[in-house]
Amino acid sequence: MSGRRRQLVAGPFGAAWRAGLGWSVVFVLMIVGTVAFWPAFRDSTELGDMLSDLPPGLLEAFGMEDLLSPAGYLRGGLYDVVVPLMFAAAGVMFANSASAGEEDAGRLELWLAQPVTRQAVFAGRVVAVLGWLALLALVVLASQLVSDAAFGLEIADARVVDTVALCALLGALYAGLAFAVAGIAGRPGPVLALGLGLALVGYLVAALFPLSDVLEGWAWLSPWDWALGTDPLVSPAEPVRFVALATGTAALLAVGGIAFARRDVRSA
Amino acid sequence: MDASAARQQKAAGPPPAIRITGLVKDYGRVRALAGIDLEVRRGEVFGFLGPNGAGKTTTIRCLLDLLRPTAGTVEVLGLDPRRDGMALRARLAYLPGELRLPERGTVRQLVASIGRVRGSLDPRRRDELAVRLDLDLGRRMRDLSSGNRRKVGLLLAFLADAELLVLDEPTNGLDPLMQHEFLALVREARDAGTTVFLSSHVLSEVRRAADRVAVLRAGTIIAVGTVDELRGRARQRVEAWFAGDPPVGELDRLPGLEARAIDGRRFSAVLDGPIQPLLDVLVRHPVESLVVEDPDLEEAFLDLYAGTPR
Repeated sequence: MSGRRRQLVAGPFGAAWRAGLGWSVVFVLMIVGTVAFWPAFRDSTELGDMLSDLPPGLLEAFGMEDLLSPAGYLRGGLYDVVVPLMFAAAGVMFANSASAGEEDAGRLELWLAQPVTRQAVFAGRVVAVLGWLALLALVVLASQLVSDAAFGLEIADARVVDTVALCALLGALYAGLAFAVAGIAGRPGPVLALGLGLALVGYLVAALFPLSDVLEGWAWLSPWDWALGTDPLVSPAEPVRFVALATGTAALLAVGGIAFARRDVRSA
Repeated sequence: MDASAARQQKAAGPPPAIRITGLVKDYGRVRALAGIDLEVRRGEVFGFLGPNGAGKTTTIRCLLDLLRPTAGTVEVLGLDPRRDGMALRARLAYLPGELRLPERGTVRQLVASIGRVRGSLDPRRRDELAVRLDLDLGRRMRDLSSGNRRKVGLLLAFLADAELLVLDEPTNGLDPLMQHEFLALVREARDAGTTVFLSSHVLSEVRRAADRVAVLRAGTIIAVGTVDELRGRARQRVEAWFAGDPPVGELDRLPGLEARAIDGRRFSAVLDGPIQPLLDVLVRHPVESLVVEDPDLEEAFLDLYAGTPR
């Protein structure tokens, strides 16, 4: 990588270090805090009785069908909603800060006035954001594996790796969506509203559609279903799930890059 | 460009630094630029004058390919900013009017980052400029005042060793001493063959720095010329003391005399046009003293902006 390209990545990557550190701390606390309760949860007969009294549809919607198994506990506590939603939110926020946020603040102009193409500036920011998501995935994976070992939560490492990778790819997809909106509009409001809003809609579609006989067949519309539709904590995820998320991300990034190269750049 | 066109261009010399033809820029229903034609010669300091909202920054951002024209063509250093933007920006340096800098790191780190993107950095020139601009390279960016941020922008612009400097309101927030230093840097750049395109609403700055100026009003260029030419287009105040009664009849018949006033032997008026007819009248009568006040650029500018271009 040339010094110019390296700088176009290093600048936005470094600018996000506080946010990256913050997300890392929250992820670690969330994972360690959840897994730390596993021994008490596993040994509690009252909780098992209480869960068996809840409606099956409710348990399924919130991923709590099998809460007393290691995979069920992790899914219900972390990987059905919390971790993928945090990855999606992190992706949208990192992407917004690196693109529309910078443009809105008038700070992109300094770089776009240099001998670089708009695509190169855009691509540098995309790589920086994907880099942070990859780093967060490593943090999540490491804290999950260490916590599992420390608190006796027995689950195959490969299942955890698959699940974390799919959650991170889901975050990348929503980051791609945020970059696409930023490329088109260049304003933080629409980027955050559409990015975070569609992340929530995606979760609701994946969680609620399977409860309806009419809508069940349409759950695949949600990227959440692509990522976690067959429980990757229980059985190996099909490669097509990784490919679908990566392809969707690439397509959204392409839309953002093309749109950004064709429009006016906003000033402060 | 085909071979014959290239030969013709070579014979005609290098293209102008900036050539703008029929430039129109609309923001939705608002027309910011209404058909600008402008040519900036190589090696000159060109002042781009106009009040806020006249379209100066919009024009400049079209030069940089930050904005896409609605209509018209823009050519900078012989290149199309959209098609050849990267090559063009390697040859020019730009100081935005609303300069927003990263908050992270020190001035030295920012300068190094820009140097890496531009592909070169002369540390001796950087240090020399920092001394001249009284800028501490070790200061953290987030601690800089608006004036010091402006100095960072100036340092980056003059460090770039560019063929064309595009400076939008460059002295905003600078104290008088630094404004003086800025003018010295502009003169040095011009002496070194650099073209300087200087947008400003500060008339004194343009008067001292520019070889030629254009005045922009509501998205239209209403005057282009040298500072002296522009001054010549403005109205002059005339005051004559006659030895006897002023020749009222003859003076009344003269064209271009406004705000006439006679107070005893003193005649005063504002002359809007050539002075020769007035002088022809005066030489036929005994005149004890005559004062013709040369308008300054500010008067010319205000006249032009008031909608009375001459």
